[in-house]
Amino acid sequence: MSTQFSAVLDALTRQRGVRASMVADAADGIAIDSNLQFGQDGNRVAALSASLYRKARQSARAAGLGATGFMQLEAEDGRLCILGGDTLVLVVIAEPDANVGLIRIEMRRAAEQLA
Amino acid sequence: MADEIRQWSDELARDPGSLVFLPLAEALRRQGQAAMAQKVALRGLQRHPHNGEAHDLLARILTDLGDLQGAFDEWDMVLQLAPGHPGALKGMAFVRFQQRRHAEAEEFLVRAQSQEQDENLAAAIDVVRRSGAIAPGTILVDPFSEPRHLYVDLLTPDQAAMCLDKAGLVLSGAYYAGDGQDVAQEIGASLSGVSDEAVRATRHLGIGAWKSIVFETEAAVVALRPAPVSPQTEGGLVVVAAVPDTPLGLLRRVLDKCAQRTAEWLSREAA
Repeated sequence: MSTQFSAVLDALTRQRGVRASMVADAADGIAIDSNLQFGQDGNRVAALSASLYRKARQSARAAGLGATGFMQLEAEDGRLCILGGDTLVLVVIAEPDANVGLIRIEMRRAAEQLA
Repeated sequence: MADEIRQWSDELARDPGSLVFLPLAEALRRQGQAAMAQKVALRGLQRHPHNGEAHDLLARILTDLGDLQGAFDEWDMVLQLAPGHPGALKGMAFVRFQQRRHAEAEEFLVRAQSQEQDENLAAAIDVVRRSGAIAPGTILVDPFSEPRHLYVDLLTPDQAAMCLDKAGLVLSGAYYAGDGQDVAQEIGASLSGVSDEAVRATRHLGIGAWKSIVFETEAAVVALRPAPVSPQTEGGLVVVAAVPDTPLGLLRRVLDKCAQRTAEWLSREAA
């Protein structure tokens, strides 16, 4: 099934080192569309990513730093990149050695297309 | 030190007019009891309002408490009592630099240099003139002299760093707001909860332990990573913040340097 997000997610997943990409609801963490590898649980990725983004956003606001845009979590075996808006979050899971700079640019481009 | 503090406290109780309040307040300040040191210094100043060293001491205590403008005013008082006091001039330069008033900072440094020959002062003036991008603390303050100054030589004026314990309380570093107030505690308490969420996310996503988080906000870019392991810092964080246009890769490098400095500090403390 193709949605308004499919082309954007396909473009993101074609980036080297990207394992998965998805769009989720920022408020409730429900997956809206995703491009996942076999065995990945989209609902889990959406829920955890949205929750992490919400926490960062709340913390930044509480600290007086204003709205949060791009965030990246680096872990031993992978990276989680999130670009948040008011209602949606764009999520990418990537390899530890993926080019985050390029992924960030592509995520921003994708977000502009979705706006 | 505890014995000396007790001894000085007893002496001050016996003779409230004694100048022993000076070493007592200084010792309390060095032990991190800035609020108590402030009380002692203020009480001493009631009896010795024209003592320049007491005003200088109170200024340093106020710096520790994050009240930069209050410290500046005290050093200004020192200059009225002891014109050309190099310590006051260097302190005022430090405050002005923290407040991004670089030209005034330079003026104070030049005046301090006219009072005492100090290679560090010459270097500080040179750096301020050339770039205006490195805090005078880089040269004037020993980073290990106080936890608040731990990262001062690793940061430019538009960057801040701190180490937080598990409860979000500041162990080292500072975060100066535009008005010169140290808001590290407020910022730290707000950001500390992000790490719990990161632990949860990485555990359920199966991507191993988290190493760092970087996020961009309207007012700053922020990077955090787990603090070096020690009984004090278990579950804590090292946090670095910089102005929004700072490249994320640069911020990560600064974060790593601050984490290394934290580890060095903890090993010195343990020794």
